[in-house]
Amino acid sequence: MALELNEVSKRYGATTVLQPLSLEVANGEFLTLLGPSGSGKTTVLRLIGGFTAPSGGRIIFDGDDITAMPANRRPFNTVFQDYALFPHMTVAQNAGYGPLVQRRNGPEARKLVDETLEIVGLSALRDRYPSQLSGGQKQRVALARAIVCEPKLILLDEPLAALDASLRRQMQVFLKQIQRRIETTFVFVTHDQDEAITMSDRIVVMSQGRIEQVGTPKDLYYRPQTRFVAGFFGDNNLIEGVVAASGDRVETRLGNFPLAAPAAGGCKVLMGVRPEAMRIGEGAIAIPADVEEVMFGGAMTRVLLHAVAAPATKFDVRLAGDGRGQALAAGDRVCVSFDPADAVIVAD
Amino acid sequence: MRSTGERIAEFAAGTLTAIVFIILYAPLIIGVLFSVVQIRQGRILWETFSVSPYVTLWSNQSVLSALSNTAIVALASVVIASVLAILLALYTEWEGAIGRRFIELVIYLPFLLPPIVTGLSLLVSSAQLGINRGLLTIVVGHTVFVLAVAYRLVLTRLQALPKSLVEASFDLGAGRWQTLRYVLMPHLASAVMTGAVLALTLSFDETLISTFVAGDQMTLPLRLWAMMRVGFTPEINALVTLVLLVSIAFALIAAWRLRPKGEVEED
Repeated sequence: MALELNEVSKRYGATTVLQPLSLEVANGEFLTLLGPSGSGKTTVLRLIGGFTAPSGGRIIFDGDDITAMPANRRPFNTVFQDYALFPHMTVAQNAGYGPLVQRRNGPEARKLVDETLEIVGLSALRDRYPSQLSGGQKQRVALARAIVCEPKLILLDEPLAALDASLRRQMQVFLKQIQRRIETTFVFVTHDQDEAITMSDRIVVMSQGRIEQVGTPKDLYYRPQTRFVAGFFGDNNLIEGVVAASGDRVETRLGNFPLAAPAAGGCKVLMGVRPEAMRIGEGAIAIPADVEEVMFGGAMTRVLLHAVAAPATKFDVRLAGDGRGQALAAGDRVCVSFDPADAVIVAD
Repeated sequence: MRSTGERIAEFAAGTLTAIVFIILYAPLIIGVLFSVVQIRQGRILWETFSVSPYVTLWSNQSVLSALSNTAIVALASVVIASVLAILLALYTEWEGAIGRRFIELVIYLPFLLPPIVTGLSLLVSSAQLGINRGLLTIVVGHTVFVLAVAYRLVLTRLQALPKSLVEASFDLGAGRWQTLRYVLMPHLASAVMTGAVLALTLSFDETLISTFVAGDQMTLPLRLWAMMRVGFTPEINALVTLVLLVSIAFALIAAWRLRPKGEVEED
């Protein structure tokens, strides 16, 4: 393991922003810290970067305890959310700041800066000032500045948050390519689950200062383990219930549904069904529901409904293409159905 | 169409403004005029036009030495105040700073107190400490007086600096001195310069504190004051004109530097 957080916590006075948490980051991994604002993900990043001292626990890198090591000694570099480019320096000077302060001058350092600007595609803009650059270009300068010293770890604090949607998708691909090219560990912070799913090798889902679940994007998408993760990923439709004593079905206010795999009787559970696994029409499990809204979305038609028996239970169903969705209208009474094998069971 | 009432109001406001400006500036203009022409029985005698008062001034040894004293005092106190302002602003903005409010009070107080209080306390304390009054005590007096201005400008600029710039500098391996040299100082430089010009203006015509702590040394305003006691001569007007012009020049530079800028650096 390259980096290890061991029971690391953070308190400000009486406020605990981070419960003791442990986490391992492998060499060359693209790890994403995902969570809503206030979940503690940026705090974790700042603890790793050395900008904030932990209230407890230890941070270990390559076998050495670096908990007390100041930020300027750690072999990590950060891409800041606001880019934090030095406004009085050109692109090349910004990129060359690391070598400059580490007293690596001369032709070798200059070559390093040139190569890095080449990698991020900024060679032509090397003499511009940050105020003369677009958001995406600033992003690249920040990245160039962070990778030029060949750090062991690159920390990225919501680097794409300020970009518009299409540029953000471009930069996602670009970041992935850079990471593969320089073969460096990336720790990436975001609140956007799509971004996390498309870019990460592993995702750490955080909520209220603690880790909810750690896993590959597919793990989290198909096998959420907590209510929070189930709700955060894939807009799962959640149905509350209790496992029957026999252990082979779940009793809910909408009826009793069979379980694909047996569970312990008496447990309070959530049944989660992804929107694209739900259908409209009769099936093994059918729940009467009223259509609230039909939204055509190109490749998908999105139908929002609520259960007739319990109007507080909402369903989000996505039908491929224009399908039968087009024939539906708000106010229609239909049945939503799903295959028990497609449902995930989450302890509540 | 504007109504008659509006026109009257506009005219009245314009007239009032003009009167205020005349009252404020007429004495200045008359002073400047008196330095080059003579006025007898309310009539300006244009034929007496002469720049000889300025020439006389230039050969007046005591005025020249007062001028050089003023320059020495202004430069010394501005340099000391600027350095102190940078150090103090860096300290009070540092998150571990102790006694921030107290330090700011100490910095601002000499500027806000009546100069007579500042002057008198400096006089008393230098006498108690056995320090001879002279250029040194004037420099001390001016430094504590102008420090507030220099400090305020540096502090405001420092507070406008995104914290992440300093973090980025550390992150890339820079130490404290390197961060100060490469990131903070370039950012603060123009604020320090503006503060210095403002402080120069203040120091140049500071009179009251100087009166208490000057001892037998003379600064330009003190020389002027002394000359007026023996008689009102064209040289006095010439000197006033020079002081006025230099003050205006400094004030204009400061105002130009402090002007709001349209756009600094945004996305």
